[in-house]
Order: sequence, then structure tokens, then C-alpha cells
Amino acid sequence: MAIEAPIEVLLLLGGKSRRMGQDKAQLEFRGKTLLENTIEAVEACQLPITLSIAHDDQRDYSHPTLRDAEGGQGPLAALAQAFTEKPKTHWLVLACDLPLLDSSTLSHLLSEADPSVIVTSYASRHDGRPEPLCSLYSPAAAEPLRNALAEDRRCLRHFIESLTPQLLPLPSPLALDNANRPEHLTELLLLDTDGIVEKEVNITYYGKLSGEAPASPETLKTKAATLAGLYEEVRLRHSLSLDLDTVKAVLADEFVAWTTPLPNQSEVSFLPPFAGG
Amino acid sequence: MFSISDSPLEQENLVSRVSDESAGALVIFEGRVRNHNLGRTVSALSYTSHPKLAEPEGLALVAETKEKFPDVTAIAASHRIGKLAIGEVAVIIAVTSPHRPAAFAACDYLAQQLKHRLPVWKEEHFADGEDAWT
Repeated sequence: MAIEAPIEVLLLLGGKSRRMGQDKAQLEFRGKTLLENTIEAVEACQLPITLSIAHDDQRDYSHPTLRDAEGGQGPLAALAQAFTEKPKTHWLVLACDLPLLDSSTLSHLLSEADPSVIVTSYASRHDGRPEPLCSLYSPAAAEPLRNALAEDRRCLRHFIESLTPQLLPLPSPLALDNANRPEHLTELLLLDTDGIVEKEVNITYYGKLSGEAPASPETLKTKAATLAGLYEEVRLRHSLSLDLDTVKAVLADEFVAWTTPLPNQSEVSFLPPFAGG
Repeated sequence: MFSISDSPLEQENLVSRVSDESAGALVIFEGRVRNHNLGRTVSALSYTSHPKLAEPEGLALVAETKEKFPDVTAIAASHRIGKLAIGEVAVIIAVTSPHRPAAFAACDYLAQQLKHRLPVWKEEHFADGEDAWT
């Protein structure tokens, strides 16, 4: 049974794109900006769009906007604003950094959403937990949302999990993979073109990273397509403290660019900043 | 010449590699483990290197230095790995040139490059028992 109440999309543009070094929404992927691609997917589902923007964003947009309070309160505060504006609306909260998001992923979420649950999410292809940035919130989410904000709980994923969400498997697995950095656009392009292939790799960590990874060398099964995708995977899995831009990648004893495709059975090293002398 | 060594560095060995009858200047730099860093008492340092990349990168840095200071006659350098006590030598650079300015300048330049461009990492062991990678 489909949801009957009004459904609208809250598209989050307000986040600071610290790691991308530029506005993620304006990055181009296959000839379109990520924002254009997201808006196209939403409009194909005939859903109205509200853009959640940073408090100091001066640009003109072709859709209605909701401006963040000063100091940027994150996606939960943006959603609370949306419920204040339209309390009877079911809000589909969407990120703008999902290069492979398509309309069928959105329409599947809407048609499968159980009207009796507070929130419907997709299960992440990485860890099975709810994907926070493509989730549908019923008006019943407004009150727990106010409580969460009052208690300064701002993690979207924890909030969704606290509401016992309906979790759907992703019909196209890459649709919600986000691009945190320009290198990840290459990763997604390769995954989308060549398919998701499992590989076995041997990773040696050096310096500070050797103290943070659970084992070095580490043998790992991965679905990453490039060195950047592999580093992002282990960075999240092992809570590594260094971001990709301070680390160097070595493949078969040669320094390589992050966008280099990852071969099966490869020997990889991750090198933190050097400290000789 | 450049090498990575897991045993104590020998200065004479490097000097013999750069000695030349045309060189009136020999500059030797030794980087030694000191007992303090950023206000904390250090008891030892551990160096690790990338086993395949460190020597070729070091050789490339030596070649780059020679190119940058064409008056230099010869350069030899070694970096130690493993656990080093206070006062032990972590790096030695030996440079010869006909006159001293080129040897001093090249030695300083190479010492600076080795810090940031040689795939070597340093773990500090502090007197209070804590360890930290730098």
C-alpha cells in the first residue's frame, strides 16, 4: 500500500564540502553536475523539491529553498525546518553527492515504503545499516526529531536506527554511493562501467597507519575499482586517521595515482607522510 | 651513492666513497637521535622504511642534489633503520667539492629533502612510556 499524503524532497546542499575542496553539487559526472542529475531523477518521479542551503549561500536557485540557521546545524536540523514548514508532508531527504542516483531508486523507495513506519531507508551495500541520505520520513518523525535535537543528538544514522526503520535492499547497488572526493568519481565511473568485481589484495601499511590498521600486511577481499576506493574502504573500516590527500599509494612497488585501477591479487602499500632524518 | 642500513652507520665508509684529489672540501653531516622533541623527553627512536622504494628514492634525491649543485664532486648518504638509542646516528651525508660553498649547500639541501621525500617513518619512544609516530 503506497503512501497517500503529500511527498516532497528535501535536497541537502548546505553541508560543508571540506574534503572535496569545492562545492560537491557542482562537480560534473558524465556531462552533468551532480545537482542537475539529482534534480532530474527527482523530477522524473514528479516530486516537488525544496533545497536545503547553507545560511550564507547567496546563489539563485530555480527551486524553493530553506536556509540553515547560522553555524550550520546539519541535516537533522534541516529536516526539522522542513517539518515546521509543512508538518503533514512525508519528506524524502536526499544528498546531492550521489553520482549514480537514478529515478528508479527513488520510485522504488516510494512504492515499497510501508505507510505504518516512521522512516524507510535503503540498506547500505557496504554495511547493511540505513543509508541516511536517501530516506523517507513520515510526519510522525517530527516529534522524535525535535527531541533528538533538544538533546544535541545530531547523527542522522543513529536517529534513523532509533526509529526502527523499514530497510529495503537497493535495486541498483551503486545508486547511493557518494563521492567525497574527485577521485571517487573515477571509482564510481569504473564500478558502473566494469561492474562490481570482488578482488583479493594484500595491503602493507607504513608509519602511523601501521599502528592503526589491525594487521600489516593485511589480506582483504574488496570490491573497490581503484586505489582511492580501496583506501576509502580501509579508512572507514579501520578508522584510519589520515585522509587520502596526505597518503601516497604504491602498487607493485611503484608510486601510482589514486585513480589507478586496482588489479586482482595486487600488492598495495599505503604510505603516510615521510619523516626521515 | 645512497643506502638504507639496519646496522650502525660508518662514517669512514662514506668518506672513502666521496674522496677525490680534486676536492678541497669535505662536508659531513650526521643526524643524531636527540633526547627531546617538542618539550618531551625522548628515550629512543624507531625508523622503518619501505623495503623496495626507500633506496631508489634516496638515490634519486642524491642525483637531484648533484644536478642542483653542479660544482659538487661526489655525494654519499646512508639512512639507518631499526631502533636507535639517544646519540646514535640516523643519517650521514658526505659531500665533496673543489671549494667549500657547494659542499655545504648541497649537504644542507639533501638533509632537508631526506626528511620529507624519503619513504622512511619515525616512531618516537618517550621517557614516560608513550610512543608516537611522527
